Amino acid sequence: MDNRSEVPYGTLDLMVLRTLESLGTLHGYGIARRIEQVAQGALELNQGTIYPALLRLEQKGWITSEWGASDNNRRARFYSITRAGRKQLAAEAENWSRTVAMMARMLEGES
Amino acid sequence: MTWPRVLLWRLFRRGRAPAELEEEMAAHRALLAVEYRRRGMAPEAAEAESRRQFAGTTQIREQYRATQRLPLLDSLAQDVAYALRQLRASPGFTAAAVLTLALGIGANLAIYRVLDAVLFRDLPVRDPAGLVQVQLLESHDPQRVSYPLFRELAARQHVLEGMFAVSDVALPTPEGARGYLASGAYFRTLGVQARLGRVFTEEDDRPGAPPVAVLSDAFWRRSGLALGQTLQLHGARAAIIGVAPPGFYGETPGAARDFWVPMSLQPLVTPGDRINGAAYSWLSIIGRLRPGITARQAEAALDPLFREFAHLTVTRFGRSYRARVAPANRGIGDLDRRFERPLWLLMGMVGLVLAMLCSNLANLLLGRAAVRSHEIGVRLALGAGRGRIVRQLLTESLVLAAVGVGAALPLGSRGASALVSLAGTGAGLPLETGWHEAVFTIAVALICTCIFGLAPALAATRAGVLSALQPQSRTTAGARRRYFGNSLVVAQVSVSLVLISGAALFARSLWNLRNQDFGLDREVVLVDIPLELTPQAIARQRALVWPLYERVNALPGVRSAAVSAFGPMSSLVRTTGVSTPDRPAQRTDLTRLVCVSPQYFETMGIPIVEGRGITDSDRAGAPPAVVLNQSAARALFGGAPAAGRFVSQSDHYDSKTALQVIGVARDVRFSSARDPFGFVLYVPIAQSAAPVTGLVLRATGNPGILAAIKGIDPNLKVGPVRTYGEAFDAGLGNDKLLAAIAGAFGLIALALSYAGVYGVLSYAVERRTHEIGIRIALGSGRKGIYRMVLREAALLLAASLVLGGAGAVAGTRALRGTLFGFAAADYLLPLLAAALLGLAAFAASYLPARRAAHLDPVDALRQD
Repeated sequence: MDNRSEVPYGTLDLMVLRTLESLGTLHGYGIARRIEQVAQGALELNQGTIYPALLRLEQKGWITSEWGASDNNRRARFYSITRAGRKQLAAEAENWSRTVAMMARMLEGES
Repeated sequence: MTWPRVLLWRLFRRGRAPAELEEEMAAHRALLAVEYRRRGMAPEAAEAESRRQFAGTTQIREQYRATQRLPLLDSLAQDVAYALRQLRASPGFTAAAVLTLALGIGANLAIYRVLDAVLFRDLPVRDPAGLVQVQLLESHDPQRVSYPLFRELAARQHVLEGMFAVSDVALPTPEGARGYLASGAYFRTLGVQARLGRVFTEEDDRPGAPPVAVLSDAFWRRSGLALGQTLQLHGARAAIIGVAPPGFYGETPGAARDFWVPMSLQPLVTPGDRINGAAYSWLSIIGRLRPGITARQAEAALDPLFREFAHLTVTRFGRSYRARVAPANRGIGDLDRRFERPLWLLMGMVGLVLAMLCSNLANLLLGRAAVRSHEIGVRLALGAGRGRIVRQLLTESLVLAAVGVGAALPLGSRGASALVSLAGTGAGLPLETGWHEAVFTIAVALICTCIFGLAPALAATRAGVLSALQPQSRTTAGARRRYFGNSLVVAQVSVSLVLISGAALFARSLWNLRNQDFGLDREVVLVDIPLELTPQAIARQRALVWPLYERVNALPGVRSAAVSAFGPMSSLVRTTGVSTPDRPAQRTDLTRLVCVSPQYFETMGIPIVEGRGITDSDRAGAPPAVVLNQSAARALFGGAPAAGRFVSQSDHYDSKTALQVIGVARDVRFSSARDPFGFVLYVPIAQSAAPVTGLVLRATGNPGILAAIKGIDPNLKVGPVRTYGEAFDAGLGNDKLLAAIAGAFGLIALALSYAGVYGVLSYAVERRTHEIGIRIALGSGRKGIYRMVLREAALLLAASLVLGGAGAVAGTRALRGTLFGFAAADYLLPLLAAALLGLAAFAASYLPARRAAHLDPVDALRQD
């Protein structure tokens, strides 16, 4: 059985922000690659879906972008996290760990 | 709520073009392919794998677009574009609608702008809310105060940051400019800085300081004067030290000031020493409250000072005096009080006219909706929601309203300035635009849109898909349209009834004013000889009394002539006190003094009702004589004969200076239509040493009066030569203006009603063509058809007259206070207006009725 799971709802934004926070400025491909690397094959990511996510994050002012040249000398948009994005990430990460811990306690208690 | 963020994003980053996404995705796929090749795949396989990994591009594009979408805004943009296309497609309708709206909204804007300037606008100074007027109340009447009183108050008070005294009497200047005296703290207290040079201060107001003047911006531009030049003001030559900022018109709205000079110049520029004399009450005081002090606290603090020093101003024995501190954020003066009523009346009238225009427009739109019912049916059938279509139709109305407002803006500002100049007062009234006006305009546009747009849009979409698509369905949709149309016409005719009766009442009031009993002969010719209040001018005109009297009486063609000082319609009025041994002067007395030569009453046509008039025998040295008017005689002697009794020309009777009453003259309207008669003392000019300020004469032909005056003193300024009636008429500016505007609105209302009734009946006839054809085919006579159509008109009219009649009666009751000489019989005027409207309505229904009666039944039946 394929134990790769779909991207849980609402976590893609968090993953993108975290990636940009740790690696600095990246283009869409770089972000997608990094997420897949970190997931170590545990995640079924359609790489295209990060683009609407990037637009959404940029509209919210959490990341910014500008055009630059990629490794193979094609024009690519490079994204980086903003101060507001870092704050959001911190808040969301905290939120997320609390949820995970709570779920873990609950599931352990049940079994 | 994500849309505000998305809106900002789209406004400032202009969104992201789809092409950019394509480029990003292509770059991404290329990098993927490179990666797969690096892992050892063949180029084609790498390409295919990268495409597999990067799947669902259509979905991604769609998602990407959705993230940037603003559903309401995008459909609004669509609607506006569609509306513009629709309006362009029918230029005739659009032009008519825009013109209608522009006129209606423009008129409303014009009146509103004046109303705003007169009633709502603060003085253009720093923090106007802190300004207060400090008044001395005699019983309940505010009094002007003397300078000595002001000086004491200013030195002793602690509740005001600053206070100043200002006079509203224009200084005599050779250039005809209007200059005013103000104490040194004037500009500092108001918080007004010079735009050029400097304003004057308390330093410039010390006695003996070099004379200075500050010009208003408008006068500075108009006169071409420069800083450092001087203004000659009788005994002083004032150096121009500064120019006030543009828009600053002084402390009295509606009374433009050209320049200000410090109070200390007064003894040099006008007669008398008012700086040290307590016998003049001529100043208004304005102050600025210290922070944290309320007007009430200031009043409490100033009141003891006023009581203590009231003797320094003109006070009368036995009266009580106290202080009043009132907000002066809108300045002082009576502009608002004088114009509040007429302006609200005009506002009401233009509002009604606009409502009529809107209902007319609603009728037009209803017609358009009927024409478009097929299109709307198709759109409903294709799945458009009713709300969506109503929104689209409303957008069309809104676009119309917006274009109309655009055209109305210039009309509004023109109209406002025209109104101010027609009213003849309020020169220098700042007609500025502001957020008040923006809010008003938008509100008017939105209300109009709702009035003329909503009902037709709802009616157009109510019919439903089936009936809209079926050609025979005209009856149901049509019935609804007729119902709306009829109510609109009833509303229109009712409103016109109100407007037309209003116009009739104003016209009647004007007629009453002009044809009232003036107590004299309106045809007498008056020549005003203005008097400058300088000692030289007074002496010169005093010496001219008898030379003028004799010269004018000797002119060929002059039947009788007399000279006078301070007579009716004169530019100067002199008031005095009057008392008898039994009755000292009362606070409510209004007593005018008129100095007249022999033949005055005969020339003016003022009947002497008791005793005799003033004759040659009442010369200097003869016993002092006086002629009273009827009001004075009645009040002073209680109906007993007055001739032979004595009065004093002062507040308290003094037998040593008493004048003997030699006669009683009829009451005369003195200077304006609504002038109360008051008391008048006519004294012989020979016994009064008064300067001549007017000539009155009756003549046949043109005796060349101006040339005769010039022959005696070529430098004497002479005002207009006109009959009393003309002079009186000139003072009716506001009444004429109101009557004219009301009349114009009445005519518009009549025309709109005519058009409305005509439209509704034409439609009714057209809709019933088939039925009428059958009736005629079955033998119904022409008369019957006429009767059928006219009955419909009569029903409409009856409903309107009931509604409008109630409105007209209510309006008449509300207007009663404003109308001159209103009598109960004037309630007939609305009836007359109703008759006029009835006539118009039947005239409007005649054509459709005729068309119906002369239908060819064969054509009519073939139509569908």
